[in-house]
Amino acid sequence: MAIPYEFQYFKPGTIAEVVALLATHGSKARVLAGGTDLVNELKMGYRVPDVLIDIKDLEQLSKIEICNGHLVVGALVTFRDLLESKLVKEHAYIVYEAAGLVASNGVRNRATMVGNICSAVACLDSGAPLLVHNAVLKLLSVNGERELPISKWFLDNRKTALAPNEMVTHISIPIPTMKYGSAYQKMMRYSGEDLSQANVGVLMFADGECRVAFGSVGPVPKRSPKIENHLLTQGLTAESINQAKEMIEQVIAPISDQRATKEYRMHMTKVMFERAIAAAAERLKQPRLITKH
Amino acid sequence: MQNYQHIGHSAVRVDGKEKVTGAALYTDDLDFGPNLLYAEVVEGPHAHAMILSIDTSEAEKVHDVVAVVTGKDFPYNFGLYMKDRYIFAQDRVRFFGEQIAAVVARTPHAALKAAKLVKVNYKPLPKVLCPVEAIAEGAELLHPNLKNYQHVPWFFPQPDTNIAHHRKIRKGNVEKGFDDADFVLEDTYNVPRYSHCAIEYHAAVAKYDLSGRLTVWASSQSPHTQRNLFANALAPLGIKHNDVRVIAPHVGGGFGSKAGVTMEILAAAIATKVPGNPVKVLWNREREFYNTYQRLGVVAKLKIGVKNDGRITTLKHDLFWDAGAYVEYGANVVNAVGLSAIGPYKVDNASIDSYCIYTNLPPGGPYRGFGYSEFLFGLESHMNRIAKHLNMDPVEIRRRNAIKEGDLTAYGAHMNPNGLHKAIDAVEQKIQWNQPLISNDPNIAIGKGFSLFWKAPAMPPNAASSCFLKFNEDASINLLVSGMDIGQGFLTVMAQIAAEELSVPTSKIRTENPDTDRNPYEWQTVASHVTWGCGNAVRKAAIDAREQIIELVSRTKFLPKETLFLENERVKCTTDPSFELLLKDFIINGIQAEDGTFKGGPILGRGVFMPEYTSTNADPETSQGGHPNVHYTVGAAAAIVEVDKQTGKVRIRKIVEAIDAGKALNPSLVEGQIVGGVLQGISTVLYEEMKFDHRGKMLNPNFTDYKIPTALDVPDEIIPIIIEVPQPDGPYGARGVGEHPMIPIAPLIANAIDNALGIRITSMPITAEKICLTYLDSQKKSSI
Repeated sequence: MAIPYEFQYFKPGTIAEVVALLATHGSKARVLAGGTDLVNELKMGYRVPDVLIDIKDLEQLSKIEICNGHLVVGALVTFRDLLESKLVKEHAYIVYEAAGLVASNGVRNRATMVGNICSAVACLDSGAPLLVHNAVLKLLSVNGERELPISKWFLDNRKTALAPNEMVTHISIPIPTMKYGSAYQKMMRYSGEDLSQANVGVLMFADGECRVAFGSVGPVPKRSPKIENHLLTQGLTAESINQAKEMIEQVIAPISDQRATKEYRMHMTKVMFERAIAAAAERLKQPRLITKH
Repeated sequence: MQNYQHIGHSAVRVDGKEKVTGAALYTDDLDFGPNLLYAEVVEGPHAHAMILSIDTSEAEKVHDVVAVVTGKDFPYNFGLYMKDRYIFAQDRVRFFGEQIAAVVARTPHAALKAAKLVKVNYKPLPKVLCPVEAIAEGAELLHPNLKNYQHVPWFFPQPDTNIAHHRKIRKGNVEKGFDDADFVLEDTYNVPRYSHCAIEYHAAVAKYDLSGRLTVWASSQSPHTQRNLFANALAPLGIKHNDVRVIAPHVGGGFGSKAGVTMEILAAAIATKVPGNPVKVLWNREREFYNTYQRLGVVAKLKIGVKNDGRITTLKHDLFWDAGAYVEYGANVVNAVGLSAIGPYKVDNASIDSYCIYTNLPPGGPYRGFGYSEFLFGLESHMNRIAKHLNMDPVEIRRRNAIKEGDLTAYGAHMNPNGLHKAIDAVEQKIQWNQPLISNDPNIAIGKGFSLFWKAPAMPPNAASSCFLKFNEDASINLLVSGMDIGQGFLTVMAQIAAEELSVPTSKIRTENPDTDRNPYEWQTVASHVTWGCGNAVRKAAIDAREQIIELVSRTKFLPKETLFLENERVKCTTDPSFELLLKDFIINGIQAEDGTFKGGPILGRGVFMPEYTSTNADPETSQGGHPNVHYTVGAAAAIVEVDKQTGKVRIRKIVEAIDAGKALNPSLVEGQIVGGVLQGISTVLYEEMKFDHRGKMLNPNFTDYKIPTALDVPDEIIPIIIEVPQPDGPYGARGVGEHPMIPIAPLIANAIDNALGIRITSMPITAEKICLTYLDSQKKSSI
């Protein structure tokens, strides 16, 4: 299908040029990485920019590295890269697990996690995993770099805290300093590729802390301090988990749409929460993966 | 059992090498040179509205735009069985997305840009999106002109209503049957619309040259029918049948969507406005969903009476079909079901009312199964529910009622020879029906289901096939037929038939998709009839060629005809083992006689097949008296499923399906049809669902939200079983198997889910959500 709209296309060789273009064109520009969302939007005529800035030549953004106790994921890192990284599997297992459930093989080969959070559609898969890990985003503009916790990133469906002159260069995930177990559960209409109708991320630590995030059951993915506190104070018992399941009704606000009804989303979120807790607890018990790096 | 060299063997596909190497060209791959123009359609944003005016002036100003056409340019109607369709909307639009106009430009980009500039003024009309509402008192009429539409003699439109056709069966005494019954079950089943989802989009390129020749390249299941409809629709322009040439390249999936004529007519018509230039019309995925044929939706009210021993005493089946805005093809789905909605059972007292109802949704049309999947969902669900009530095994109740050769069908003809009982036995045994199923996980429920199926080709009583067979110098063969290979392996099987009769290896037989100028007539590749019908034609053509060969050798070599036979590309003689004549030594240039002259010449075979026992002449009030269907193909299927009680998610462990192919000409291709059909059936019952909003706009014309299974969603095991009870008039006993494998799957899975969880779902699709919420509801009720 042809793209019936006109736009200017740039493919800069340096980050400096990218931010300079962003400084000039602001909200009339869009940054192209994997393009799996953006190109579809161009075809549909949705949010067509005047200027398209292709960053695929910025090789330094395609790395997954350990840096100061953080797992740092560049803006060109694809879901396929995440799936193949031993570092990700060891230090942020839930990111690995969620990456494997994003779309299909073909899309995972191109789509980036940074692109996923920049699109910020309500059904994204990256939200809950990054929220439970307290990830930090590195944002760059001509004015310099700033860091923003992921908890402050999502403002609404398709709306983020990114300024018009900024780009996201990296996602920085703090590496757990103690033994952890995590799990991601995604509600899908079948086993093939699907947009999440609800998702749950759980990250628990050996000291009893248990973080819980819900996605696709509201305009933005979010953590539940109330449920987390409940699980921390009550411990993980059948009773406390059942109580937490009931609390979910106050935490999330799913809608009915063509993909699922709010009733089923609510029910499934509870089921997935319980299964994620069980899976994370089981993984916490497993011997930890050791990788040299 | 006859010993065949080629028939019954799994010959390698003749088009396989072409397809796996990428040599195969599809319509959009063809190169038409720099003069190719591109057409983009303008779509109506209303389900029902009058068109007040169309302003094309802005569109015409766009650089590279060559022409803009609208309904006014083509005031013609057309259709396969009823001429209720228009090339472009005339005074009104009847479904959301219907084509109003088209822009023709030198680039796709310019065409798309200009199409957005065509301004249309509408006056919205009340719309009807549901078939039951459409036949209510005072419903808005979609086709006020219905009474003037031409149609085939076996349709019965009801003027000044939205009922385009009503097929009635009245057999025996239905009321007495209910009086005699020990138990009567009545319920309503809902089956929504479905889309074919062929991977290749519809594509058509047409060129109207300066001499008045119209050539159309189209991704098609029906080249000759398309030629016929193009020629009829465009006759006012002075176009005759022999002016129209349809060339059909490879097809990337059809499933019924590329039968008859839909968007192809746009290319044919538009080409006449830009003589000398080829024009391409290429659909996209969205339009594949909302502007080609869709499978019709149906609301089916079913009432069956039985004796305590499970025997059916009577059946009443009322089917209200959502046939869409135009029913030129879809009305025959309604007709086919009207004739067959007793299912594969002996039913002495039957009443069927099958209503074809106009709605402001996209046109319904042929889809693999042609209505049988839809009515069997209710019927085969019903049989299980009755068995449950009678505390009878679901296999046993079917065995007691299953139709046998010679039993009367709903319209009073005798049932053809068939292996239905053999299929039931084979499936029951293979699935180990009587073995208890135990789940080791309290969260997982296991269930098993059973279902029968039948289907007849639905076609005009005089649908014909034909074949030309040409030998080449080396005794290789060009086999010219006009059936389409749409993935089922048709061409391979035709080559096998010719190979069998002429003792030439299939590797030396070239048979390709047709060009209507060169290849002889075929009605359409639909109805699972083409292996049967065209197979007979090919066999006759091969026998014709063989007889010419034998005759020639007999008269030149002075050997009695009855002693001559073909073997291994040679003519041999039963009484003289030393005699042999290579085909290649005479097949073109003849045989030299002792006097030095030559006898014979190129051997050309011809074969034609048309059933001569079919008729639609029946009493319209009862449908008794005619013989509309050539035969029914039957079979049985069973499934074992696991259901996650908390999520409703279904995993299919095993499906066994047996089909009576009469004779499997190529067993591996039959098995391929079974596996593919089972998957398509699973997809319709578990995942697919067309969703329309209150405006009649389809909400999910994409694979993001219209789900068809991936490799991750297939059953753990699918076991095909081939039964062979020969069809007397089929080639080597074969009958059609193409559509059938998907037909029993929806009720099969519904029955297995009921067996697992004790819930009966009467509307498709049976999604995880529906299962889960229904089950939760049933648990709440049982705990009260």
